[in-house]
Amino acid sequence: MSIQQQTEPIAVALIGNPNTGKSTLFNALSGVRQRTGNYPGVTVEKKHGTFRIDDKAIELIDLPGSYSLAPRSPDEMVAVDVLLGRLPAERKPQAVLVILDAGNLERNLYILSQVLELRLPTIVALNMIDAAAEKGVTVDVELLSQRLGVPVIPTRANQGEGVQDLRKALANIEHQAPPEYPSPFPPAFREEVAGLQGQLVSRNVSAPRYLVERLLLDTSGYLECELKLGGEDFHQLIEEARKRLKESGAPVPAVEAMSRYGWVRETLRGVVERKPVPPPLSDRIDRVMTHPIFGTIFFALLMMLVFTTVFSDYVAGVPMGWIEAGFEWLGELVGSNLAEGPFRSLLVDGVIAGVGGVLVFLPQICILFFFIAILEDCGYMARAAYLMDRLFSNIGLSGKSFIPLLSSFACAIPGVMATRVIENRRDRLVTMLIAPLMSCSARIPVYVVMIAAFVPPYSFAGGLINSHALTFAGMYLVGIVAAVIVAFVLKKTILRGATPPFVLELPSYKWPSMSTVGLRVAEKGWSFIRRAGTLIFASSVLVWAAAYYPHNEAIVAPELERLAAVETELEQATDEEKIAALEEELAALDHRISGALLRDSYLGRAGRWIEPVVRPLGWDWRIGCATLASFPAREVIIGTLGVIFDMGDEEEAESLPLREKLQAATWDDTDKPLFNLPVALSVMVFFALCAQCAATLAVIKRETNSWRWPIFTFVYMTTLAYVGAFAIYRIAAFLTETPIVSV
Amino acid sequence: MIPLDMLPIGQTAEIADVLGDLNDVKRLAEMGMRCGAVVQVVQQGSPCIVRVNGCSLCFRECAHLQVFVQPVATVA
Repeated sequence: MSIQQQTEPIAVALIGNPNTGKSTLFNALSGVRQRTGNYPGVTVEKKHGTFRIDDKAIELIDLPGSYSLAPRSPDEMVAVDVLLGRLPAERKPQAVLVILDAGNLERNLYILSQVLELRLPTIVALNMIDAAAEKGVTVDVELLSQRLGVPVIPTRANQGEGVQDLRKALANIEHQAPPEYPSPFPPAFREEVAGLQGQLVSRNVSAPRYLVERLLLDTSGYLECELKLGGEDFHQLIEEARKRLKESGAPVPAVEAMSRYGWVRETLRGVVERKPVPPPLSDRIDRVMTHPIFGTIFFALLMMLVFTTVFSDYVAGVPMGWIEAGFEWLGELVGSNLAEGPFRSLLVDGVIAGVGGVLVFLPQICILFFFIAILEDCGYMARAAYLMDRLFSNIGLSGKSFIPLLSSFACAIPGVMATRVIENRRDRLVTMLIAPLMSCSARIPVYVVMIAAFVPPYSFAGGLINSHALTFAGMYLVGIVAAVIVAFVLKKTILRGATPPFVLELPSYKWPSMSTVGLRVAEKGWSFIRRAGTLIFASSVLVWAAAYYPHNEAIVAPELERLAAVETELEQATDEEKIAALEEELAALDHRISGALLRDSYLGRAGRWIEPVVRPLGWDWRIGCATLASFPAREVIIGTLGVIFDMGDEEEAESLPLREKLQAATWDDTDKPLFNLPVALSVMVFFALCAQCAATLAVIKRETNSWRWPIFTFVYMTTLAYVGAFAIYRIAAFLTETPIVSV
Repeated sequence: MIPLDMLPIGQTAEIADVLGDLNDVKRLAEMGMRCGAVVQVVQQGSPCIVRVNGCSLCFRECAHLQVFVQPVATVA
């Protein structure tokens, strides 16, 4: 044995049906020693966990939950490629751990029969034995192990039972021989596979027997296209083999289900005993939860609770305040310890303000994911998808689109990634393209500033409803309505296709595991922090540079001279009244200088260049400039507005001076107010509909493996935002009888 | 033989035929909805909720995927 073999951990792949407690078992086995990532070029999340037992290190590779090892998409292909050691980015697993739901062995053994064909040392975790007992199901574990020829360890992952036994079994897996497994397929099928494999060998192509079987069984043509084995005429050979199989009574692909379920029936004979029991509690709960009226009312109340908590001043507001204060303190600390100049400006105005402006939303993201993780872990999310299917099928989607869209209210990035639960390619694409229309938390500061400054406060229903809350909710509604219309149009035009079949497993209700929820929230929170530390950091630096350079001080020479004079006067002044007046003048000069420099900066010049384009929306160059700056990430808008309106860029969303300054702003060289209700609505609608998030577009590119869809998303959303902002500006101006400014 | 979505609540039936695209039919079989499997309706409508081999599945019939069942017994 080489030194490398001795030190490298034993790689074990985890596989099983969805809802078998696979994630809970993975977490129980590996604890916090986990890392996630993505396989290069494909969308599947890569999850690794490690643990040590008896001086041996075991590395667990968590594969996506699946009912079968029959690849029909890039995501499903990854599981097969990992198990066959065909991925350069991943070590070939030395063993497989298959997790089975003890209460539904018939279906769960289907995927096990596929795994056994791979001839890798295998261990079975027979999970949820307690839930099976409640269903009246008892399993003869010893007999099952004998029939399968592999160790079977009973577990209750949520209670930690059996986990240590499983660890011990995994520690000895190196010495375990691959299972003896006779193929369940009829002789005719095996002969055809052998024939095809022989053909490949004669063409100097090597492919494992399992892949050749799958090539024959995959009538969708996905694998043929993916593997490109055997040259042009190989397809013809596959077709001929299928024809012969059909004639011999083993039609493809039905022969697989027939053969495997035949093997399952034989394996389970005498292993599983079922006793009649009353309908499970889950069924009784479902009578309410999935009821068309009561279920929908419960769903609406639940969503209200989730959103109220996410946007509550008392729950999310408190930690948000701490983060804000922390970055303010850091900015002041760095600012006061560095000499004035580009480096200080870069650190304070670019890095600290930019990254801090994003991290402030971390509590909201964590709270939303806390709810999502609880709802998923207790089994409710599938019921929500069931309820939503009635609504979504009207626009050509299925209920499976609901979960990604809900995630998008926190941030579109995890939302786009969550579309992986949708198997239908067209549906997945439509959901991905409308996900950025859900109002994510980055839009909140824009809504808060505009509503507080320009929406008149009215109360209705005895103070229960007010115009500010209504406008806020209205902005969310704008995104939702636009998403429904876009989805409908896409499904009727470029992504035309029939509403796909909707089949979804509803897992039994259970108490959520707090460790699973905690790990999930930590994982999502950390990925958000990473994003803030990389993309937002980079875009903040770029925006700062565009707003700082060329920094031609010659254009503010008179102001700079006066500034120096006032500073000298201030040093010599003794009269308190004079000191106050000089300080006020100093501040005004500072603001005037930074404003003039900004107008002359590359960002300011770009703003003036785009002014004719934004004028129909009721905006001047400064609003256009701030909007332009926020295209990489909409979070930077507040800092940019602060700089532009001569305030310095440290203004926070709810700070009074920024609000007052915006209220006092006028069109250049006139006394006509720049902002009013129609302009504020126009800005908000633009932000509600526009694709101002480079990270989301990058994720769409990664998920679709094409530039076409992020470009399409950017173009359609920007057009929609422009048209929406123009329409709301004109309509609001007409209704409020506000004159449309043409300066 | 009746379409699955016409099966009343509590009624047990055996899946007699699954019609549709071969790959969709196979996907259903992998999830347990195959000819010969015994189903019971938990919630009617479209989608309906059925119990197959001790697990609940929700399923919406559509033009290109239909499940036909043969009622075998009525449970009160």
